[in-house]
Amino acid sequence: MRSLALGSPQTQYRSAVAVTDRNALRSIARAFLPILALAIAPARADKASFGEDILPILERKCVVCHHGDGAQNGLRLGSTAGLIAGGKSGPAVIPRDPESSLLLAKVGGQKPEMPPAGQPLTSAEIALIRDWISSGAPDDANGPAEDSERTWWSLRPFRVEDEPAPASLWERNAIDGFLLRAMESQGLEPSDPSDRKTLIRRLSFGLTGLPPEAAEVESFVNDPDPEAYARLVDRLLASPTYGERWGRHWLDVARFGESNGYEQNHLRDNAWPYRDWVIRSFNEDKPFNRMILEQLAGDQLAPDDLDTQAGTGFLVAGPHDTVGIKNPAGEAQKRANHLDDMIMGTASAFLGLTVHCARCHDHKFDPISNEDYYRMQAVFAGVSHGDRTWDDPARVADFAAASERLNNQINDASAGLEALRKAVAGRVDASRETILRRYRPRVDQSGTEETFDPVAAKFVRMRVDRATGNRNRVDLDEFAIFAANDSDRNVALDGKATVSGTRVDSASPDTYAPANLIDGKHDRRWISTNAMPAWIQIELAQTERIDRIEWSSDRLGGFGGRFGPPQPEEYEISVSLDGDLWSTVASSEGRLPFSEADQERLLLHAVFDSGERLRWDRLEAAQREAKRALARLPKPQQAFLGRFQQPEEPSFLMVRGDPMNKGPEVAPGSLSTLSGLLAEFELDPDAPEAERRLALAKWIASDDNALAARVIVNRVWMHHFGQPFLRNPSDFGVNGGMPSHPELLDWLAHRLIHTHDWRLKPLHREIVLSAAYRQSSTFRKDAAQVDSDGVFLWRYPPRRLGAEELRDAILQTSGNLDRHMGGPGFRLYRYTVDNVATYYPLGEFSPDTYRRGIYHQHARSVKPELLGEFDCPETSLPAPKRITTTSPLQALTLFNSAFVVDQASSFAAVVEIESSHDEAGFVEAAWRRAYLREPSAAERRSATEFLAQHGLEALSRAILNSNEFLYVF
Amino acid sequence: MESARSRRDLLGGFVTVLQGVALASMLPQRHSLAAQPPHFAPKAKRVLQIFCPGAASHIDLWDYKPELQRRSGQQAPAELDAVTFQGSNGALMGSPWGFKARGQSGKMISELLPELGGLADEIAFVHSMQSKTNTHGPACVLLNTGFVLEGFPSAGSWLSYALGSENNNLPTYVAIPDIRGIPPAGPANWGAGFLPAEHQAIVFNAQEPIRNLQRPASISPERDAATRDFLGDLNRNHAAAHPGDEELRARIAAYELAARMQLSAPEVTDLSKETQATRDLYGANDPNPLKAAYARNCLLARRLLERGVRFVNLFCASRASGVDGLLNWDAHKTLKADYERHCPILDQPTAGLLKDMRAKGLLEDTLVVWATEFGRMPTHQEGTVGRDHNPNAFTTWFAGAGIRGGTSYGATDELGGRSVQDIATVHDFHATMLHLLGLDHERVTWYHNGINRRLTDVHGHVIGEILA
Repeated sequence: MRSLALGSPQTQYRSAVAVTDRNALRSIARAFLPILALAIAPARADKASFGEDILPILERKCVVCHHGDGAQNGLRLGSTAGLIAGGKSGPAVIPRDPESSLLLAKVGGQKPEMPPAGQPLTSAEIALIRDWISSGAPDDANGPAEDSERTWWSLRPFRVEDEPAPASLWERNAIDGFLLRAMESQGLEPSDPSDRKTLIRRLSFGLTGLPPEAAEVESFVNDPDPEAYARLVDRLLASPTYGERWGRHWLDVARFGESNGYEQNHLRDNAWPYRDWVIRSFNEDKPFNRMILEQLAGDQLAPDDLDTQAGTGFLVAGPHDTVGIKNPAGEAQKRANHLDDMIMGTASAFLGLTVHCARCHDHKFDPISNEDYYRMQAVFAGVSHGDRTWDDPARVADFAAASERLNNQINDASAGLEALRKAVAGRVDASRETILRRYRPRVDQSGTEETFDPVAAKFVRMRVDRATGNRNRVDLDEFAIFAANDSDRNVALDGKATVSGTRVDSASPDTYAPANLIDGKHDRRWISTNAMPAWIQIELAQTERIDRIEWSSDRLGGFGGRFGPPQPEEYEISVSLDGDLWSTVASSEGRLPFSEADQERLLLHAVFDSGERLRWDRLEAAQREAKRALARLPKPQQAFLGRFQQPEEPSFLMVRGDPMNKGPEVAPGSLSTLSGLLAEFELDPDAPEAERRLALAKWIASDDNALAARVIVNRVWMHHFGQPFLRNPSDFGVNGGMPSHPELLDWLAHRLIHTHDWRLKPLHREIVLSAAYRQSSTFRKDAAQVDSDGVFLWRYPPRRLGAEELRDAILQTSGNLDRHMGGPGFRLYRYTVDNVATYYPLGEFSPDTYRRGIYHQHARSVKPELLGEFDCPETSLPAPKRITTTSPLQALTLFNSAFVVDQASSFAAVVEIESSHDEAGFVEAAWRRAYLREPSAAERRSATEFLAQHGLEALSRAILNSNEFLYVF
Repeated sequence: MESARSRRDLLGGFVTVLQGVALASMLPQRHSLAAQPPHFAPKAKRVLQIFCPGAASHIDLWDYKPELQRRSGQQAPAELDAVTFQGSNGALMGSPWGFKARGQSGKMISELLPELGGLADEIAFVHSMQSKTNTHGPACVLLNTGFVLEGFPSAGSWLSYALGSENNNLPTYVAIPDIRGIPPAGPANWGAGFLPAEHQAIVFNAQEPIRNLQRPASISPERDAATRDFLGDLNRNHAAAHPGDEELRARIAAYELAARMQLSAPEVTDLSKETQATRDLYGANDPNPLKAAYARNCLLARRLLERGVRFVNLFCASRASGVDGLLNWDAHKTLKADYERHCPILDQPTAGLLKDMRAKGLLEDTLVVWATEFGRMPTHQEGTVGRDHNPNAFTTWFAGAGIRGGTSYGATDELGGRSVQDIATVHDFHATMLHLLGLDHERVTWYHNGINRRLTDVHGHVIGEILA
């Protein structure tokens, strides 16, 4: 076996690649070279052309640094004039003299000096330049001649071509015309149409992420209406399951995770409103530019509309470091990372630009300056991660009014108490010493002792009614019991400790164990559960006469501060000989209160007369009651949609990306990158926070933004055909390369804006109505020899179900899919927090996990069962394209997981019912349900035989694991 | 025969030619676990990384600072207060433990680690490490992936990607978390980031087996086997109807491999095959259950390495807890108590593992690295008897294949507060690791989000001084 696993979408259907490396190369060469010719060749004379050959090379490798007024060494390489004029070191090109031309000297040789980063020029590229110089360096570039700096294709306005005139009966719409033209240039032919069964399964998964029900297949296959397919498309696009499918695609791009990530990685339980906004927006077919606006500034568009507001969850969908650092450089770095996530998230999702690469210096390849980065940072300077109130304004107002009233009561009571305190201050001072002398010392975290008359005990018990700081737990590092006749002998050491309850740390259950109380050491501790009263009971090895008990909560002094961990403040210690009859030997009675405030109250009560005492107690009671009522007030719903605050200071360019190294001040503004496409904007450095986001949002969502339209069209296309026009859907810069079908991409993108008003459903409709989408997926060797990756779409490319699709399909096939939409998600883990969060995979899966995969509450860096194995991406970074892998772990999970075994069992039960418990019908029913077809005679025979021996559940388990179930053709 | 290097270079060349040319979805990024040779002759074939999360104190374990001992209790130089994490720092605090000269090299090692100290002549210390952050999670992720942010591939994933697998029946990359739990930032320490998921670590330890490895308890072995056979028939018939679609056959193969893993994985984890003497060497039956558990994980690590697993990421201790320094090396408040608990867990089992690997010849082609995410301050933390975080100085060490034992590289200042001589970054650490495996760290790349990403970002120098 050569490889354990195959295939990203790029490689999975390459026919020749698995054989030998050499063949792989050949097949790539076969696929590439004709395209190379196609792309470079048009209008090509016999000599190299500056516009067609040379400029594209220079744009990719050189122009980024060598352009405009700030060109490196004054050298501008974007035009023939600039090349000949040269820079500080003289002309870069001397026409007809390649040997003396500095350009070739810099980019050639074993260790080329230029470009300083990225791929050096290839020998083919160098040869082209040499040819061009030899032929006199003619300038034939179109467009502005003066230092043309011709922009990269994606940053230009649309160049819309007319739709190709239909040239064959195969074509169904203009999309096919474009595709066919490209196919024909390769000598490729498209495939025949798929049959209806294949088509409805493909379309259902594609538009809704779910397989069709057997009855739907039946009715579609038998529908005589020639428009049956178009009606099916419309029905599926109108289904709410469409938003769940396409919403999931968008959440990948939006790096949406429902935990904070980083070290603590606590869950975000209020993040789901953004997820629901995404689903709703797709279902309502909100214009995509409206979606852009709402995600960046929904709060400003419709301040009273909760649905619109939820869009801003996008801004803060990424990770958030919640660990506090007590030094300014550390905090500044954290904040810069959070802003970087917003910049990267926004620029990559909507513009397909890698703006984050310009954090420390100008972008190495694209025209994105360091200053561009910080202009965008200034836009987000007032955004921070966190919940904000997201509720009916009337309820919010009610809450505000009620809490104000209660806070007033609390403050009034405080004022009354303070007045009383002042009134008796003189008396308190006069008798302070006398009063305090009546008490025993307060409890002490480094050790508290109780002594009593010697008493025989087999059991010793301490009950804690109150802990210091009114905490609801206690935390002790030792509990020692000393023998009466031998005061150094700690008789607890041989005893056995039982307690009211112990904090449990799942990873290591003994961490806070009661045994730590009686181990004679102070380095490990017992921590009670959060409940009062707490108690400790020590059963001694034998009955002992004892007269002293000592305990501590921070003997080693490691906790710092005055108070240490919570320790017993009100307690009672009793002993027993039989564990049944108890007598109290000591208590906290007579000890000074631990806190200063409590000592103060004690003093006050000692000097009050009865009237004063009554007034004090009433005020305290009123205050307590108001606080309780305040705590009980139903709080408005919070949602993780970001917090917005006017930045306290202007933004600066941070030199080399170092957040402690301020460069010049920058104002919020647009990226210069798109100056050829969009009108620039720049705000005042202290512009209102909301204005900044709104300006950016409007700039991106502009009807002139061909780039934004190209980016979303490319994403949509990728999800229909498994491969995008542009291989890296979030990099429309130089490194992202050129699209496979530039004319079609521009035609669709232009149409999205100007015909469909940015609505995606009409775009989907046109794509899935095309003949290309409807054609058969049958492999053809002759075509694969020309285009092994199917770049030219000579067939519909088959694909494996995505992670959520697979899980959803299993649930639907077993009759268990819970279609409940929206609201808080489900979890495929058990969540515990002890400072940091820990996620334990579930071993059993209850029906509350039977919802669609999009409703799983993804915690960052946690791979959920089944979804994780099947390439559900990690959410810490955007995942514009999922990689499809094939691994033994997938096989283990799908074959052995309790989830799949449970579903196989439900699937079997449904099959029994559907075949009226008639064994003879089991195989047909199972095939219809899972494969949406009748079994062949051979299949029926072998399945019936297997069924007889091993039963329906085993058959179901095999089917849910089978390739026919896992793949879409 | 063309080497993998030329293959990669050629393909890289193609991309360059074709950049900007009409082309979708055609990045020839390697996508397979099949073994393939490195760039140049390697010293090591595989890596064992022992990671002590929580920031194990360099000045209490490996980096002897007599001046600190001398000035213990005196006021600290002002600049030491600048890098706090939890709050202010107090006076200088000498190590509570003595150091002793060990081995021929006379390396001064803390008496807390008597067994590891005995191996001083095998170890090359790098005393001048620096981190980019003083928060545990990001720093652990940095040490494991080269980036502070999560979402990047860990070193083991890069090696799986670059070199593939040497064993068809076992995972290429295994992470062995401690019985006390997972390290700070958890799975981000062994994730594959944007590399294909097959390069992520398989996670298990001697206490907790691979998930879903075994057949469901409710299904008999006979029925399980028959179901697998029946599934094979279904898939073969289906594949026959779809000639040319290789992935269908790859999935059939994946089920076959899964079945082999079901047989071979329990064999690897079955420590009863080890002799009593070997178990005692590691301390696998120690009465301290935490030490015994780590010792068994050490044994498991050796068994995986000798079966060709490419990278084992072995953890000693775990995450932050409600009480600092309890579950890991984060001794903020009670250094002495904490390290007298942690060091015995680390010392004998790790030393036993190294001795056993040496005896079995494994050290000849296995690189062993010991790491932690950053160091600790030479001061005590105000109000406590512990030490705060110190990103400016920490120690890592290398041993085994290609390493010049008994050497020390770089140095901190006289108090151990800051690396000052031959400063080494995490990128240097990784560059050196890749170099020993025959890889040029600048040429192991994967295109992601605008950049050809590397384990070493845009940095990294091989630390030549510690190489044999």
